[in-house]
Amino acid sequence: MAEKGLAKAKEIYKDRTHRVKELKTEGKKIIGYLCIYPVLEIITALDLVPYRILGDMREPITKADACLPTVVCPFLRSVVDLGLKGRYDFLDGVVMAHICDVGEKTAHIWDDYINPPYSFFIDTPHTVHKAAQAEHKELLKDFKKSLELFTGKELSSERLKEAIQVYNQQRTLVRQLYDLRKIDPPLISGIETLQVMVALASIPVEEGNALLEQIISELKERKDGPPKKAARLLVWGAIIDDVALIEMIESLEANVVMDDTCVGTRCYFPDVELTDDPLDGLAYRYLVDLQCPRTFKEAAFSEMKKDYMADLGARFGYLRDYAKEWNVNGVILQSVKYCDVHGYEVPGLKDYLDSIGLPSTYLEHDYSEGSLAPLRTRVQGFLEVIS
Amino acid sequence: MATNSYLFCGVDIGSTMTKVVIIDIDGEICSRVVGPTGAEHRRLANKVMEEALEQANLSFDAISYVISTGYGRINVPFADRQITELTCHAKGVASLFPSVRTAIDIGGQDAKGLKISNGRLVDFVMNDKCAAGTGRFLEVLADTLELRVEDLGSISLKSTNKVRISSICTIFAQQEVISRLSDGIAIEDVVAGLHDAIASRVVRMTRRLNIEPDVVLTGGVAKNVGVVSAVKEHAGCELLVPHDPLLSGALGAALLGKELTAEALAKGEPIQRKERRLKEATFFT
Repeated sequence: MAEKGLAKAKEIYKDRTHRVKELKTEGKKIIGYLCIYPVLEIITALDLVPYRILGDMREPITKADACLPTVVCPFLRSVVDLGLKGRYDFLDGVVMAHICDVGEKTAHIWDDYINPPYSFFIDTPHTVHKAAQAEHKELLKDFKKSLELFTGKELSSERLKEAIQVYNQQRTLVRQLYDLRKIDPPLISGIETLQVMVALASIPVEEGNALLEQIISELKERKDGPPKKAARLLVWGAIIDDVALIEMIESLEANVVMDDTCVGTRCYFPDVELTDDPLDGLAYRYLVDLQCPRTFKEAAFSEMKKDYMADLGARFGYLRDYAKEWNVNGVILQSVKYCDVHGYEVPGLKDYLDSIGLPSTYLEHDYSEGSLAPLRTRVQGFLEVIS
Repeated sequence: MATNSYLFCGVDIGSTMTKVVIIDIDGEICSRVVGPTGAEHRRLANKVMEEALEQANLSFDAISYVISTGYGRINVPFADRQITELTCHAKGVASLFPSVRTAIDIGGQDAKGLKISNGRLVDFVMNDKCAAGTGRFLEVLADTLELRVEDLGSISLKSTNKVRISSICTIFAQQEVISRLSDGIAIEDVVAGLHDAIASRVVRMTRRLNIEPDVVLTGGVAKNVGVVSAVKEHAGCELLVPHDPLLSGALGAALLGKELTAEALAKGEPIQRKERRLKEATFFT
């Protein structure tokens, strides 16, 4: 591969812990976080290294069933399983949030069974009205205080604002990278994009920014990018942290050119507004701006609830914009089994996509590499229908 | 090659049976063969193909275009192209019944609901990776009942009071059947209950597409008169069943081969053929 930056991202994707373990030997403390609700700026500003806890769909779940039911999110079961097997023992602490009910259980199981030196649970609200926003800010104050206690340092407003700027720079760079997918054929494949996104979640933010700058400048000169294919797809839904599903889709007549998932746009697109009290901007972004069906945005549009289509438009209008800008002609809706937050979203979302004439298909999988093969026929059938 | 000598072949490699249909330029069937796919997946697919060629007294090279479909479609060395069974079934069914709007296909290992508009597939649903609601369900339970799967249909017709099988899991249904038999319930009532369980599951799944008539039932399970009448009851409408319900996928594949060839010829483009060899299909990728 001529693109050294992409090759480096792939290396990090394949050996995620390599860099943080190096940093650890240099005396840095590594803080694991689950999902996209823990506020990374606070961790980084206190000179700690945030490291995203992901699952492993290639590792059979053998230990987690002792403490989580089998009929819950297989991604979180995998996360707990890896924790119990010691995969995350190098972490100096963890931050988790009330992402969903099973996510909450995961946080407490982690505390009880794995017992890291530091842990914090952000009881993130599930609605976005003013009182919830105010409550969220209070929770972030507590989180900041708790980390200050852990590090023995005080976090100044200025230092926190600097961290926000570095993260906003990362968000700008990711959006620039995604701009290269608007071209047909895209300059970067769906598989490569995911590898870069996972890499960013595995290394310090400044290193991630340097990597992104290198990748973007190399891609602009790229001659051997993905081939032109009939379908340009957007993939929506539950976490995708392994390339297997995208690989299956891209082995067919389709390029994945856009996503609405949490190791993608959901986590890297929204900026944080630099407010006088930086916690105001952070509290707003990490509650209101983050796009995940775990949060009930309907509360923000209460008058519209009387009109079903207007309500759907308010909730999913951003997908129409994505589809237009990225020239998408089909949407793959996917979720892990037993994910209520995504599952309940599907009928309304399908209605919305139908109403704007964007074809879609829904896939459910159990977060294991082997379970993806039977889905191939469905994806191929969908591509035949839209071609 | 003169246009009138064009021949098109569809090979539908299902989990249980392999189906081959050869048609001529007018869409007339020259040959049709159904054979077991074989325990080692698709190893026997080429044998079924050879039989079909023999039946029509054709050499393999005489076939202009071969399309593979079905569960085992991917690594077929004697096909020019692979298309999913969803698209092929829709094509085949629409050629037999142009008025079709909804098709239900119950095969050995999966069940599909197809929405068809103007002869074209527009939407579909498939069962999850589970044998419930498929031919395998009946095979397993026929074995439990010590009956031949092909006899289930006629046995169920004798039922006067079908029993309700509540389990959707094949393994639990097996236990339920055994306990019903030990309760002294007549075997034909148990069999009718099994047909009802399959029909209810498949119709419920297909309802997601909004079942509109005409409704066509295909797949190996459509040969079972008990299932046909149970599906009719659950769907609440008449069902059309092709004379040979196993062949619609292979027929659709052959017809798509004919269409693709005609399109290429009309544009003056070469037909996109692969270097195909009539040998064993390999295992999955």
